[in-house]
Formats: sequence, C-alpha cells, structure tokens
Amino acid sequence: MRVDQQLRLDEQLLLFMDQLEALEEKRHKLNSLIEEGWFSIAKARYSMGNKQVSALQYASEMEPLVYVETSVLEGGTAEFKCERKENKTEELKNNTIEDIGAKETGLRRRINTTQKGVKEEEQETDAQVKTKAEPSTPEHRDPLKWFGILVPQNLKQAQSAFKEVITLSAEIASLQSAILATRKEMQAQMEKQEKTEKTQPEIKKE
Amino acid sequence: MPGRGKLIAVIGDEDTCTGFLLGGVGELNKNRKPNFLVVEKDTSITEIEETFKSFLARSDIGIILINQFIAEMIRHAIDAHMESIPAVLEIPSKEHPYDASKDSILRRAKGMFSAEDFR
Repeated sequence: MRVDQQLRLDEQLLLFMDQLEALEEKRHKLNSLIEEGWFSIAKARYSMGNKQVSALQYASEMEPLVYVETSVLEGGTAEFKCERKENKTEELKNNTIEDIGAKETGLRRRINTTQKGVKEEEQETDAQVKTKAEPSTPEHRDPLKWFGILVPQNLKQAQSAFKEVITLSAEIASLQSAILATRKEMQAQMEKQEKTEKTQPEIKKE
Repeated sequence: MPGRGKLIAVIGDEDTCTGFLLGGVGELNKNRKPNFLVVEKDTSITEIEETFKSFLARSDIGIILINQFIAEMIRHAIDAHMESIPAVLEIPSKEHPYDASKDSILRRAKGMFSAEDFR
C-alpha cells in the first residue's frame, strides 16, 4: 500500500517536472516572439512616423477575430484552445452565384430602398449591391487597415508574430492550469502518505 | 453567448496592446466596455486594479494577458484570483524582461517543496 503511494507520488513528480520543462520552453518561445513583434512595430514606427503607429490609430469600433474555447476537465484543469475567424472570401463567391441564379428564375424587382417588402428584396436584390456590402467587412475587420492602406512589411511581420503569440498564450494557459492541478494532487498524495506513516510507525522503525 | 468562444483581454503598455490588437483580440463597440487597457505613465493603480477585477467578473473573457511590471503593481489582486477561468498570463514588457520568480502561478507551484519532502 505504502509502496503504491510512493510510486504514485514519483509518477506525479515526474509529470510535474515534465510540465514545468514544457512550460519553460513555451515561455521562452513566447518571450522571443513578443520581442520580435515589438521590434517590428518599432521599425514600422521609424518608417511611418511616431504618431502613425500608436494608440491614436485604434479604430472606434473593433470586432475580435480570435476567440478562445475553454473547457474544464476532471480535477479542475482548464483547457484553452485558440480559434481564429477566417476571411469570408468563399462566402462572397457563393453569394454572387446565388444572386445570378435568383435573377434568372425569380421575379425581377426594381431596388426599392423604402420599407415595403424588405424580405423579398433581400432575396432578389441586385448582385452589385450585395457584393459591395460584403467586401467591406473582411477589410474593415483587419486591424492592419487602421494604420493605412499601404503599410510597411514590418507591420505585417509584427501582426503575424503576435498572432503566433496569441496561439501560444492559449497553450501556456492550459499548461499552467495543468501544473497547478498536478501540484494539488501531489500535495494531497503527500498528506496521505504522512497520515499512513503516522498510523504505521512500527513498520517505519524496521 | 452560447456557442461563442471567449475573449482574450490585455492590460499592457501601448506597444503590447498595439501588438495584440493587431493580432485581432480587441473588442470595442458602443454597447460594451473594451477588453483591453493601455497603461500609460499617468494611469493610476486603482484604475488598473478596477479594470483587472472587471475582467475577472466578465463571463466572456477566457485569458487575461498582463505585463509583468503592471502585475507587480496589483500583485495582491492577482494572487487572490484562484479560479482556473479566466487564466492570468504574465508577459514581459520592453523595459522589464520576464522574471519567473515573480510569476504568481510559478510561485504557487514552487512553494510546495521543502527538503523534508524528499526523505
């Protein structure tokens, strides 16, 4: 019984050390990616101007492009997974195809911007109106556009570095949660072992 | 919101926030408060602490990224946070490199060992 407990404790200790090592590695990578990102931002600021790359350029309305899926496992460990919204260029193409189809088969109505028959208009509106609405949303969402239409390559490099940082952050958050859970288990196991030793002092003396 | 993932909040200096916002984590609209705070030289500790606590209270934030030097200012608030969600991740800043000995999570993990445990 005691040997089992010790073996279990040893396994947990090894797991703990492995997790710490993995965390150290990911941290190191995260820190170097962040520094790379800052350096790229500084280079972009040098070429564009001090005020051109600052908090003054933030949009007044922003929509997040990356979300994190959270789940709580047994033992209270939380897992985090990054999910990024992809560009909806494929949907754009589908919309134009559907519009052409509707034109041929359905009734053709003149575009009426007043309130009447709003639902019918949505099905049979002019293809041009619909396609104009769609391209603005993917562009509007890209934060790179806040800094101008033609931005230097450095700013794009900064963006890709920080995108990687975000994915890595989710992994580190999961690992941190796992480490704390392992720590709790180990503590519980050590306390259990101490209790066993106290109740069986004769075996220990031998 | 069911079926929708959680947000990543950022409390950091201007360059840190700019970088993460470029990455696409920012949310700002008329109805809701932003999920980031740009900490400048004149930002008060009270404001930082209140923002941090408001992020903890929000159910739609999964991870909070905070520069370590800012985390030092509100260390008591971070140490008091025991829940697994939202996760708090300390990141370096340009003037202050990452120091593992100051990280709340690692201090909790380190504090358990003593020489007697390995006898």
